[in-house]
This record gives sequence, structure tokens and C-alpha cells, in this order.
Amino acid sequence: MSTTTVRRLAALAAAILVTLASLAGVPARAAEASVLRIAIVAQIDTLNPFKTALLPSINVNRMQFESLVESGLQNEPVGGFADRWETSPDGRTWTFTVPDGRVWSDGQPATADDAAWTLNQIMTKPELATANGTLVANVASAVARDPRTLVITTKAPQATNPGIDIPIVPRHVWENRDAAHYLDDVTEPVVGSGPFVVTKLDKGQSLELAANPRFWRGAPRAAGLRWVWYKNMDAAVQGLRTGEIDLVSGLTNAQFDALSGVPGVTTSAGAGRRYIGLTANPGMASSANQPMGNGNPALRDPAVRRAVFLAIDNATIVERVLGCRAKPGVTQIPTVYPAYFGLPAGASPRTFDPDEAGRLMDAAGYRRGADGVRVDKASGRPLTLRLLGRNSSPDLARIGEYVRSWLERVGVRTTVQIVSDAKTDQDSAVGNYDLLLTGWAVGPDPDFQLSINQCSSRPNTDGSGRLSEVGFCDAEFDRLFAAQHAELDAAHRADLVKRAFGRLYDANVLDVLYYPDQLEAYRSDRWNDFQRQPTGTGPITGQNSYWGLYSATPRDAAGAEGTPGASAAPGAGPASDAVSGASIAGILVTVALAGGAIYLVRRRRSADERE
Amino acid sequence: MSVRRAASRVVGTLVSLGMVAVLGFFLFRVLPGDPVLTLTRGRPVTPGEVARLRHEFGLDRPLVTQFVDYAASLLRGDLGRSYFYDQPVARLIAERVGPTLLLTGAALVLSVSLGVWLGQWAGWRRGSAFDRAATAAAVVGWSVPAFWLGLLLLMAFGGPLPTGGMVTPGSDASGAALAWDVARHLVLPALTLAAVQFAQYTLTMRASVLGELGEGYLTTARAKGLPEDGVRARHVLPNALLPTVTLVFLMLGQVIGGAIAVESVFSWPGLGYLAYQALSAPDLPLLQGTFLVFSATAVVSNALADVVYRLIDPRLRGT
Repeated sequence: MSTTTVRRLAALAAAILVTLASLAGVPARAAEASVLRIAIVAQIDTLNPFKTALLPSINVNRMQFESLVESGLQNEPVGGFADRWETSPDGRTWTFTVPDGRVWSDGQPATADDAAWTLNQIMTKPELATANGTLVANVASAVARDPRTLVITTKAPQATNPGIDIPIVPRHVWENRDAAHYLDDVTEPVVGSGPFVVTKLDKGQSLELAANPRFWRGAPRAAGLRWVWYKNMDAAVQGLRTGEIDLVSGLTNAQFDALSGVPGVTTSAGAGRRYIGLTANPGMASSANQPMGNGNPALRDPAVRRAVFLAIDNATIVERVLGCRAKPGVTQIPTVYPAYFGLPAGASPRTFDPDEAGRLMDAAGYRRGADGVRVDKASGRPLTLRLLGRNSSPDLARIGEYVRSWLERVGVRTTVQIVSDAKTDQDSAVGNYDLLLTGWAVGPDPDFQLSINQCSSRPNTDGSGRLSEVGFCDAEFDRLFAAQHAELDAAHRADLVKRAFGRLYDANVLDVLYYPDQLEAYRSDRWNDFQRQPTGTGPITGQNSYWGLYSATPRDAAGAEGTPGASAAPGAGPASDAVSGASIAGILVTVALAGGAIYLVRRRRSADERE
Repeated sequence: MSVRRAASRVVGTLVSLGMVAVLGFFLFRVLPGDPVLTLTRGRPVTPGEVARLRHEFGLDRPLVTQFVDYAASLLRGDLGRSYFYDQPVARLIAERVGPTLLLTGAALVLSVSLGVWLGQWAGWRRGSAFDRAATAAAVVGWSVPAFWLGLLLLMAFGGPLPTGGMVTPGSDASGAALAWDVARHLVLPALTLAAVQFAQYTLTMRASVLGELGEGYLTTARAKGLPEDGVRARHVLPNALLPTVTLVFLMLGQVIGGAIAVESVFSWPGLGYLAYQALSAPDLPLLQGTFLVFSATAVVSNALADVVYRLIDPRLRGT
């Protein structure tokens, strides 16, 4: 390469590097020390509390609109918008008391009338039932007897508190607005009752919440929350490393490991409220008992389903795929809800036993062929099962491969089909699968998770109609469901719940593989004191209430904690002030270098031409 | 260009757009997935609520009726309402088209400038070390996945430069301060996009210059006593630029939708990522709207390329 070329390329490279350096010389907006910045990768659909469908949106609204009843630090019902409640002996009348002195963030009184108005909007206007219509399906009436007393009457007795999970909105704001077509145009701070209220929404970029100084539990210690959108988790991890954000949730194991040991960053694996399981299609039928789907007939035999589950080593999945950051699975209720977790007394859990799996398959008439693969006794062909799973979780693909190899050992061939979420939903709804990797986030009350396993919950043959978790149908299960649904004695209800889940467990339709921990990381050099739910072992975000973010406490430069409701730290300035002397110097150097490069090039060119 | 030809081109463009609208409607109806199932996944919903959503979205009506409604709305300029965001599709697109144009426009200017500069010198000095280096760089850039390169740049420069977004979250900057803030956020995504795009301009320009080198008019120019730089700049360059200009206009069609991977890596609030998300639901009105915008840009750009080519090449005028 000629000297001229080298000189030109060097000049170009120098110019690019100095340009980058000059741009980098501008400090990022000095962080307001007491605004907690949280990375968000998922999208929010809408912040309209009547229409939110997606979990991230629901989690944001948890911060600004309290329910009548909140989930406490142990996921128990605690006071929220109402501070106490009573249930009539027949379980049909619930009386809530909204205490004196409660106010909305704009200072207006918060009363039982707000709650009654909210519930009636959902009950009487189908277009406002999108988010919470199901939660009022059993409500016959909601009446404010006086400003402090709300009476909810249900159509049938129910043990589940009807005040949970429905965000109560201020009537004086929402009755003047077309709630069905509200477009998230945040022109002024939202009026709410929770610890924070939304003040600004930059679609796809960031969402700002400010502390509500009138929150009845006391103003939060953070001055505000800021959700910052990232479209991939690796960028969010880099943002945490560089200090652009303070908290990241939903990390993969690899990202979690990579952040462990980074100065100023603390990682946290909190016990999650989700389960991941493997469903064996028992031969799905519609609610009218019409066969549906194309599940392998071999799985209609409970012994074959049991053999499949016995062949799978759940402990190895937890160890190898999850890096031990998960709890071994039993029923659909995860460990964070201890009252309902586990099998009923006297039940015997399944354990990994490939030998027993082989014996069960032999006894069921599926003998090994010459190639070691068992022969389908109906078709005479090798027994092959399709395993369906979502491609949105990298863990599921790895689990699929483990399951394939374990089933191969007991003579069952498996084809792993990891496809889009939409395709998985479509196929699973109509029963077009043999084995399915599935999962649910489970709420503190088990009623819904049980309800989707009743015979009547099975869908129509085209997948429309009701929702069934695994296509299960069992008369005894339905009886136990109905009993727990109306049982007001907590201990007796917990027993009924466990017995119902025990029926499903013994039917070998669903093998709950594990309950994944929620992997998070935060800037511990800036924040601490995050309240976990459950206390000590749970996650910071994605809770059933607002505790984790409400309790976040900023550290000041000396490491001392900030004061509740503190504003920006001294010295923090807006980006508009950020063009520093260093950056100006950088720009000048860039211009000078670029000019020099051009001069050199032209000088050399002139010399060439003279020659 | 004659009036008749211009009219014919306009009619052709409108027919293409009409076909795109029809194709978009039926194409996305065969995608796997049920929008209502996606929206209600993992939360308690009653069958009545599912049925109500189907009715609200119009999914309970015959396909032909749905299409007639869609076509009528389109003729009124209404792109429909997103299932997922519960907002007008036109508004969602309008919010994101600016950031996308900024990113892809900046990358286009960078890649064309770099590509043309490298290509003309590589062709002019064919076989030289510069030629070999420029060609190799172009091939490497063309081969590197944008996603991978973006992540690499993010790891290397994220921190000194922002790791995502278009403006600093929470910033109230305006005017010059806002422009500076956006410029800082633009550096890495625009460089990534330019790095994988400049190759085509380099190679096209190089080939064009090589094609011109044997032409007789260059001998005449040299015989007139023009210095080599003048021969290159005044004679070779204008002629060699023709195919590159056409390529630029053709690439304009991909400007709006062609940055999904880079938008994803750098969390750029653009249109490409919006379309990608709409696909996963599937959010049919949003898919149809973004598909229409992408296709319309391509169709109009092609028509524009045709016009511009005739304007800059005297040989084609009057044909």
C-alpha cells in the first residue's frame, strides 16, 4: 500500500475516532439520583386501566391505582383503597370500608363512591370490561352505602376477595372522559391513589412516573420511576453496566452470570410466581365432548403419560438449563404461595425413574422394535411424539432437546417443534400437539388456575369459547373446585385446593417441571432496600403489588440513604446543560484533524499531478 | 417525459398500490395465530369477553365483508385501529416514521458518500493496494450481519455513547441541545447501518468507473491537456455516477422498512420494529398499515428512479 493511501486511511480513521471521542465527551444526562430508572423490553399496550391487557401495563398501573385490597408482603390480602372488609356468612355480601382522610393525588377525597362507580362501569359497559370484566363476572351489584362503605353482592358465594386486582379510578376525572377511546395522551399528571403517578409518556422511549406525596402509606423514597424501553435485553444489560439505568429484570442465566461481580451492581434471583410444565395431550375433547385435535392416541392411556413424565429428569433441567435458579415443580402453585403449594397429605410425588417408565411402556403394549424405538401398537409404526414449544424463550428449546434425549432412552422418538408464540397458541387451543411446553404466571388466589381445568372450561372444537389449561376433565376435580370456590375457612379451602390440584397431578396430564426464579440486577451503588414479595426471597419487580419499587431507597454520594420523596440530587442537570468544555474541545480537535487530513490529501494530490 | 408517458406511469403506480392493499389484506389473514388469543393469553378472561373482542375487531364477520370494510376505510384514508395498542394505525405510523427516516436517511447519506468515494478511487486506481483494501472492506461490510455488528459496537462504545433510544430519557432539551442529544444517539445505529450498506455503492461505482476507463472521450480529454484529476472528476465521474444514482433511488424504497435489526439492537423508536411486533400478535390492522407504507415507498421510489434517470441521462430523454 502506498504512503499516500496509508496516510489517507490513517487520517480518516483518526477523524472518525476523534469524532466518536468528542461525542462521547458529552456526559450522559447526569442522573437524577432519586429517580429509579428501570429497563423495559416488553411493550405496553395502553395505560387505560379499563383496557390494559398486557402484564407490563398492568404492573405500571399497579403503581398509580390501588385496588380495594392489595397483596401483602406474603401475598396475603391487605388493605389498599379500603382498609378493612367483612364477608357475610353466606359468602355473597362483601362490605368494604374506605377510611377517612384518603385522597387522590390531586387532593380530592377518595371515597366508596369512586369504587362503586369504577365497578359499575366495568359491569355495565362491555367496552370497558376488557381488562377486568372477568373479575366482576360474579358480581351482582356494587353500591356505595355512604362515602366510606362499599357493598359488593355476588351472584354466587365466592371465597376469592372481589376487591383484589381491580384498579379503582377517580370518578371526578374519568366520568368526564371517553374512557373507551382514551389514547394515553398524558398532558398532565395522571390522578391516582398509588405511590406513583404517570407524568409523561414518550411512546417507545420512556415512561415517567412521579412520587405521589399524598399516598396514604407515605410518599415513596424515590422521587420518581422511569421505565426506559430497550428492544433487546443485551442492550439493557449494557445500559446497567454503564449506569444509564438502575434496574433490569428478566435476565437470562448468561446475562445474570455476566453481571455478577460487576462493581456497583448486585444481582438478585427472586422466587418467581410462574411455572413451566410439560403437558401430555390426553385426547382433547370439546365442552360438548366432541373429540378435537390430532394428539397421538397413545397418550390417551394414563400409563403412557406417566411413563413419559417418569422418563424426564426435572432436577437436571433445573441444574443444567436454569443453572439452579429455579425451584423444582410439583403442582401449578409455585412456592411463593405456601398455603396452596404442594400435594395433599398422603399423595406420592413422581420421581425420575426411566426403568419404571420402560416397564410401564412394556405393560401398555408398546414394545421396542429392532432399532430400539417402541412400536405403536395401533399403526405398527415407530412411536413418535411431537413436542411443541414457544421460540420466545431460549430455555424451552434446550429443555426440548433434553426431553427428546430422555424419551429416546425409553424408546420413544420425539420431534421437537419450537415455533412462534402465535403458532403455539393456535395449535394448543385446538389440541394439535402431543406434548406441549407451557407456563403460566399464577396469582395469589388459586381460583382462576383451578377454574380453567373444569370440564366446562374446555373450548369448542374450533378452539373458540372457553379456555382450558390442559384439556382436563374430571368430575371429582369439578366437585373440589366448586367446594373451594365457596369455602370461607382458609385452612379448609387450602386443603380443598391441594386435593383438586392433586387430582390433576395424578391424572398425569401436566408435569410441572419448575418454578423459575426471576433474575434481576440493579445498581446497588445508587439504590438499596428493595422490599421483596415474599419478604426476603421474592423478586423486586413483577410483584402482585407495588412493594419493590415503592420501597426503593436512593443512596447519596456518601452512601447514606435518601429521604422519602427526595428530589434530584444536587448537581444533577438536564441534558441541555451538558455540552461540556471537553466536548467543545473534542469538536474543535475533530474539525482541525479533518481539515488537516483534507490538506494532506490535496497536497499529496497536487504533488502527484506536478510529477 | 411526455404527458402520456407520465400519466401512464402514475396510473401504473396507483394500480400497484391497489394490488398491494389487496395483497396485504389476504396475505396476513393466512398467518398462524389468533390476535384475540394473543391479547388474552395468560390472564383470566370469560368466553363472553373473548367473543366481544372478536366482534369489536370484526373477526366474527365473513372474510369478504371484512375486506369490503377495509377497502372502504382505506378509500376514506382510515388505516384502522390497532388491536394491540388500541389506537389509530395512522397515528402509530406517524409517530414512528420520523425516527426511521432520520436513522435510515443518515445511514443512506453516510453509505452513499463513503461508497461513491471509495468506489471511484478503487476503480480509478484499479489493482492498487487502495483498490484491494476498499473492495475487501466492502465485501466484509456486506457480509457482516447488521445485528451482530450493532451489538459489537454497542459493547465497545456503549457507555461513552448512549446504549439505546433516540433521546436521553427524561430530558427536556430543545433546540440545539436536543439536536446534539439526538446526534449522539444516532451515531452508533447510523454507523452500523452505513457499514453494511456502503458496499453496494462502492462496488457499483467501481464497476462503472472501470467501464468508462476504456472510452475514447478520455483520450480526447487527456489530449486537450487536462490533468488526471480533471479527467476523473469532470469526465469519468459524471458518467460513472448514473448507475449509482439509480441504485440510490431504488434503495430509497427500502429506507423506511429496512432497519428492523438495527432498530432492535439500538432500541430506536422506529417503524421497522413496530411492524415486527405487529407480526407477532398478529395485529392485522397495524400489519396492513405498515405493509402499505413500506410498499408505497418502494413503488413511489421506483417511479421516481425512472423519472430521475431520464432527467440525468440525456440519451433517454424523449424515449
